[in-house]
Amino acid sequence: MAERTGTVKFLTGLGAVATALKMADIDVASSYPIRPYTGAMMMLSQMAARGELDLEFVHGEGEHGQLGIAHGASAAGARAFTGSSGVGVTYAMETYSPISGGRCPVQMLIGNRTLDPPGDFGSEHTDALSTRDQGWLMGWAHTPQEAFDNTLMFYRIGEDARVSLPQMNCQDGYFITHIPAKVVIPSQEEVNKFLPPLNFPDALDPLNPLGHGPQLFPGQGHVLEADRVNAMMGAFPVIDEVVNAFNAQFGTDYAPFVEQYRCEDAEYVLFINGGHAYTAKFAVNHMREKGMKIGLVRPRWIRPWATDVVADILSKFKAVGVVETNNAFGAARQAGILTLEVATSLYQCDKKPVLTAFMGGLGGEVIRLDEFYYMGDVLKKVAAEGKADRTAYWIGFHNV
Amino acid sequence: MAKTIEVTVWATGVVQDKEGRDVCLVLTEAANQEGKFTQAFDNYVDLPDRINVQVRKYARISDAEIENKFEYENHRPNIIGVTEATIMKGINVCKGLQEGGFLVINTTKDPEALLKYVPEKERKKLKAVATIDAIGIAPEQLIDYSGAEGAEDVSAIGAGLGSVMAGAIAAVSGIVKKESILAAAANRTAAKRGYDEVKIKVLK
Repeated sequence: MAERTGTVKFLTGLGAVATALKMADIDVASSYPIRPYTGAMMMLSQMAARGELDLEFVHGEGEHGQLGIAHGASAAGARAFTGSSGVGVTYAMETYSPISGGRCPVQMLIGNRTLDPPGDFGSEHTDALSTRDQGWLMGWAHTPQEAFDNTLMFYRIGEDARVSLPQMNCQDGYFITHIPAKVVIPSQEEVNKFLPPLNFPDALDPLNPLGHGPQLFPGQGHVLEADRVNAMMGAFPVIDEVVNAFNAQFGTDYAPFVEQYRCEDAEYVLFINGGHAYTAKFAVNHMREKGMKIGLVRPRWIRPWATDVVADILSKFKAVGVVETNNAFGAARQAGILTLEVATSLYQCDKKPVLTAFMGGLGGEVIRLDEFYYMGDVLKKVAAEGKADRTAYWIGFHNV
Repeated sequence: MAKTIEVTVWATGVVQDKEGRDVCLVLTEAANQEGKFTQAFDNYVDLPDRINVQVRKYARISDAEIENKFEYENHRPNIIGVTEATIMKGINVCKGLQEGGFLVINTTKDPEALLKYVPEKERKKLKAVATIDAIGIAPEQLIDYSGAEGAEDVSAIGAGLGSVMAGAIAAVSGIVKKESILAAAANRTAAKRGYDEVKIKVLK
């Protein structure tokens, strides 16, 4: 494996993504300000103003228009970028399906923020997860370095002719968007080698007219929907290929779909998405020091959901606790959205772990080490007893 | 968990947004050069676009990886920097201060003159209070928003007041070496004068 080499900088998740976008030589960015993702657009606009990046920077009149601009740019063959947070993400809801249905490989940065209420600046994943069934690839970074790397990997996967789908490049607001960490930045030559220029096959062109997004008759619907499902499912081998190519070229060791941390002889695990995995890994280390057989499992993709990979990994354990930094009001098991995915994945397994969830980080609250210790204690107990008292334990209620 | 030194800098919105952040960035860059683990970050809920309203800038410096990295504020500060002395009249800047803490203020006054604004509880925990005429040493204050909201600073780190304050904090507290501060600051002269000219009143 190659050594990771490059320039080391202290960057926030936003700084890391903006730096990667510049190296990806994006053509069009469409913006509309909302905390916490705005800093990435601030950087892009400055790069364009200074002439460092040949970028068409277009300001939307709202998120709906903003996504429309990115859609049009991508349809015309541009490498397009946009982004939002919280209620900005949901304001643009109508636009997501047309973009994926048009197979336009737009990349959208989501700096997670709570919806209203509570509407504070903190991170909940409910904003992005609300759009999970709109045909976009979707994954989270848990460090600024991973945010940089994902930006490049997501474009290459989404732009691959076998996939041709838009991507949501997600990171937790504040925890990742605003706190700097060391990021190794490869050379421009290395990035060029990894990410070739976009070659969009059916770009809008006045000299070669073609139609995008026509009104269809009912009888045509199932064909188009099946086509988009095939594109999404077709992403699996491409993700595998691209992540492995990234690892080989840059000396990283990303799991293509699901990261396992200290799971070797684990009896129970936390299943956790996004930034809180950073703190959770320290908690797992400390619980291990006390002899607890705990591990951590982190999905790198929410869409497409790697059902078989998740099932293979999680069915090995006695108990699984899904850490939900989102809410699914009235959903099956009344926990969060990830519980639905995890429980469905495990349905096919002969041997199933005890499954429960931890509602944590709501309102953008920090999940502290002692709160992860509480989760560890619960998992140890439910693993020993073979059942859980609750489908969801609420941090801030049940642990106090 | 290894001991993490927490530095909180109080500055004024807009006018000192950049220089206030630079105090923390110069300190953490100096600590980086000494192989420490660091983070420098703005308070997330302060509203930095209100002119002269106080804003908080934070640094954390540790011998090991920082496990409480995501905590929004420095709840247990060891060092307090104040870049505009009048803030002390309205706010207990030392709230949560740890035993043996340090307070460094930008003012032309002597350290004793500002102590009356520190409540008794926190005053007892102070190991030393210090003052430095940071504006006198570096009068130009750069107003630059490029580094706000998690974006990367375009202008140099510590062109003015930020370097003076970082130098003074290093001299008073010893958290980083003088040569590290001088190497980290864009304005080396300002950092050196901050380090050399700070007036220190040792309290215990």
